[in-house]
Amino acid sequence: MAEPLLEVVDLTVDYLTDTADVRAVNGVSFTVEPGEFLGIVGESGCGKTTLLFAVAQLLSPPGEVTGGSVVFRGTDMVRVSPGELRAMRWLDYSVVMQSAMNALNPMKSIGAQFKDTLEAHGDSSAQEIRQRSAEVLALVGIDAAHLKSYPHQLSGGMRQRAMIAMALLFTPQLVIMDEPTSALDVVAQRSLMNKVKDLQRRLGFAIVFVTHDMSVVSRYADRVMVMYAGQVAEAASTEAIFDRPLHPYTRGLMNAFPSIGGPRRELAGIPGAPPDLARPPSGCRFHPRCPEVMPACLTREPELYAIGGAEVRCLLYAEDDR
Amino acid sequence: MSDEPLLRAAGLTRHFRLGGMFDKQVLHAVDDLDLTIHEREIVALVGESGSGKSTVARLLARVYPPTRGEIHYRGRPLHNLRSRRALFWYRGEVAMVFQDPFSAFNPVYRVSHGVMRNLALHRSDLSRGERQQEAERVCGSVGLSPKMLTRFPYELSGGERQRVGFAQALAVRPKLILADEPVSMLDVSIRAGVLNMMAGLRDQEGVSILYITHDIASARYVADRIVVMYAGHLVEAGPTETVLRDPRHPYTQLLLSAVADPREKVESISADSGEPPRVINPTEGCRFRWRCPLAIEKCGQVTPRPMPVGSRQVACHVTAGEPEVPAGDSGPVSVSSHRSS
Amino acid sequence: MAGAVTDVTNVPEERAEPRRFLRAVRGNRKAVAGAVILLVIVFVAVFPGLVAPDDPQATLYEPNLLPSPSHLLGTTQLGQDVFSQLIWSTRLTLWVTLVVSVIATILSMVIGVTAAYAGGLTDRVLTVFIDVFLILPVLPLLILLAAYLPPGITSLVIVLCITSWAFQARQLRSQGLSVRNRDFLIAARVRGERPSYIILVEIVPTMTSLLAASFLALAVYVVGFAASLQFLGIGNTSELMWGTMLYNAQQAAALEAGNPWWALAPGGAVALLGAGFALLNYAFDEIGNPALRPVRRRRRGRASA
Repeated sequence: MAEPLLEVVDLTVDYLTDTADVRAVNGVSFTVEPGEFLGIVGESGCGKTTLLFAVAQLLSPPGEVTGGSVVFRGTDMVRVSPGELRAMRWLDYSVVMQSAMNALNPMKSIGAQFKDTLEAHGDSSAQEIRQRSAEVLALVGIDAAHLKSYPHQLSGGMRQRAMIAMALLFTPQLVIMDEPTSALDVVAQRSLMNKVKDLQRRLGFAIVFVTHDMSVVSRYADRVMVMYAGQVAEAASTEAIFDRPLHPYTRGLMNAFPSIGGPRRELAGIPGAPPDLARPPSGCRFHPRCPEVMPACLTREPELYAIGGAEVRCLLYAEDDR
Repeated sequence: MSDEPLLRAAGLTRHFRLGGMFDKQVLHAVDDLDLTIHEREIVALVGESGSGKSTVARLLARVYPPTRGEIHYRGRPLHNLRSRRALFWYRGEVAMVFQDPFSAFNPVYRVSHGVMRNLALHRSDLSRGERQQEAERVCGSVGLSPKMLTRFPYELSGGERQRVGFAQALAVRPKLILADEPVSMLDVSIRAGVLNMMAGLRDQEGVSILYITHDIASARYVADRIVVMYAGHLVEAGPTETVLRDPRHPYTQLLLSAVADPREKVESISADSGEPPRVINPTEGCRFRWRCPLAIEKCGQVTPRPMPVGSRQVACHVTAGEPEVPAGDSGPVSVSSHRSS
Repeated sequence: MAGAVTDVTNVPEERAEPRRFLRAVRGNRKAVAGAVILLVIVFVAVFPGLVAPDDPQATLYEPNLLPSPSHLLGTTQLGQDVFSQLIWSTRLTLWVTLVVSVIATILSMVIGVTAAYAGGLTDRVLTVFIDVFLILPVLPLLILLAAYLPPGITSLVIVLCITSWAFQARQLRSQGLSVRNRDFLIAARVRGERPSYIILVEIVPTMTSLLAASFLALAVYVVGFAASLQFLGIGNTSELMWGTMLYNAQQAAALEAGNPWWALAPGGAVALLGAGFALLNYAFDEIGNPALRPVRRRRRGRASA
């Protein structure tokens, strides 16, 4: 049995501000196998972005990891020294951010930024740099001539592709992506996701993909983790989540998507709003909005119960935990 | 439903000059658009970025005037409404709801501010007590408790703010609400409630809604008719089910193929990379031709005009001539009004 | 195209302005220092008799005395108690400062925001107007005005207003430009509000922090400049103000006569008042830029799994 590539155990992240202490991530655990595509799905305020930042070691004050571990290829990234972290960054894992305009330097050409990255993390000759830059651009379907272009000269879709190319410069084993498609139109989204999946098949890296849009992961992810209010609500294979959603929140999400084909159904949505993490509800955090709430839900906090190959944080399954 | 359309736009065009005085760059945001909205109907205006759909909303709301073209509201041409009073009358008939629940409210005032101003301006016949009652009534129509009015914007969630946005619009008792991507910035689980509320407004309050969106699936859910735009042009328009069951225009087909349904496993067919349209100093001809698998020589020379195809309009040289597939179902189902807590 | 909005923390940012200001002041040491200075000066301005019971104008004492326990700052050439003069001058000095700052702030706000909102030709004309006043050579203007305006406090106020209003107008215009296209302003237009209403009721209230900061920045400038003008003899030299004390001290060659405190004291007071306003202004830096807020780092220690 192969070692998991990434193992997150009981990770807790707090924001310590002068107005309130907010526990944005509350005891989250998951693993990523080599070559696996894990989708982390959730709505506003669920903590998925904070989780991603914590895993990628990009948190800055007032955010702070206050518990748990993030073990990547045997190294605990939370406790490792900055020097060791820097050695791993970009070579073993890389990050693709939500908006390329936030991550790319608007004053430098794409080629110059690739060169900077290549030089920062390794020793390559000028010839090798040129070659590799053109190679990764070709991987994402951009003409090598664009090495001379500046970010603002590229369209949104192309910028996102350039970001992904940059993340693949050292062929890392893990690529962490934070909603890379949310700024794109539907057709560009589809095209980008196809390309990402294609690259994954060819190069074999694992992906942790954070998004609010379940439909984006439905076609491409191997496993899906649904987050709510800083906790894992449900985690299962993509097929299981979409065919047999267990948690009432997951079911609610499924029912909130209007369908393009098939008969028209009335959409229900989920009444209410996600909780204020500074004052989370007692017991199960979803109980104020849950259509299947029971008296116990107000006082007892559900654990993550194993049901078949899935995990659910819901008292409905407390007895069935095997 | 009367025969006379509520609003009829013909040849609607809006250009923006880019750059300085000597720059000749003209952005063609909307070109030659014909649009009709009847009473008690929801029309979805669907398009991606650069399609011109938000510009259409602002043209209809008279935020700025059209470069060319005419808008007739209840038979009266808008360009004749020159007096302040006539324009003011129009503002009490047509209201707007905005996309961004965070910037649509002045953070300094409570959310009742917009509602009360609308009432003060357009329902001046009401006494102060009656205005308060009316404010509470419109709050109820959008599924919110009247207590919400006393809150500040930062105290409400995105979904609640959008509902207040609709309440504000309803306060003037409009015949038409221009909703510019009202649910795009909301969580998916909240959207359903707001969409249901919109359908309820059509049924209970008798308001027509122009629902502007990039999400064709939500358009299918609430709209009676759908209008698809690309690069400032109308490419296809017609009853929702007809257009979506049998899309004629290649762009509509591309849009539909790209929409993922989490419950269905449909293989994607297109290699299109989704590049945005070119609308700066465009040439004659169809603006979709560079991405179109069916493009012929004529597409690069003559701009296609919308041609009637059965109950639809299609602007395509290649596909507008084919016979229509016979109809199957009876059309969209009306959704009952949905209260959300 | 935006996806659903993701709040990283659920902490609401926009509270009612006064509460936020008080918190910012309390949390910021420099602002607290500034507030204390101003409160002391205001107290002295309102109750001068409690601090210096002697009549400042009375020429009762021996002239040109050095500081001593009975005359904390010595006496003037005419035998007046310098300390009393200093204390009793506070009220008028503060009054002139506040009046000019308020008028200039209002002027710069109206012109700056109107320029931003109106746009187009109006904006360009008003911007040129602002720029003209910004680069006005003050001294030649003063000489002109000194020749034509009657001597007195009113002239001083007028001159100060004319030369200081443009100071903040550009900044207020920038702020106005940044809020111009926010949806709630388009909403106000769409519901048919008049432009004057939009500017006064919708735009200006969102700028209260910036207006207060502008006011304080202006006050610093006015304090110093008023004293300078009076030192040159503009205004009414017989009125009790710190600037006129400087003028009188200079006329009597106090420094050469070995009576430096007569000049140093009002100079120091002017500096102190300016510093008070400037320090208080630090509170606004914090409100405007949340990144500057103090981060409370509690060392809980890293818990293990």
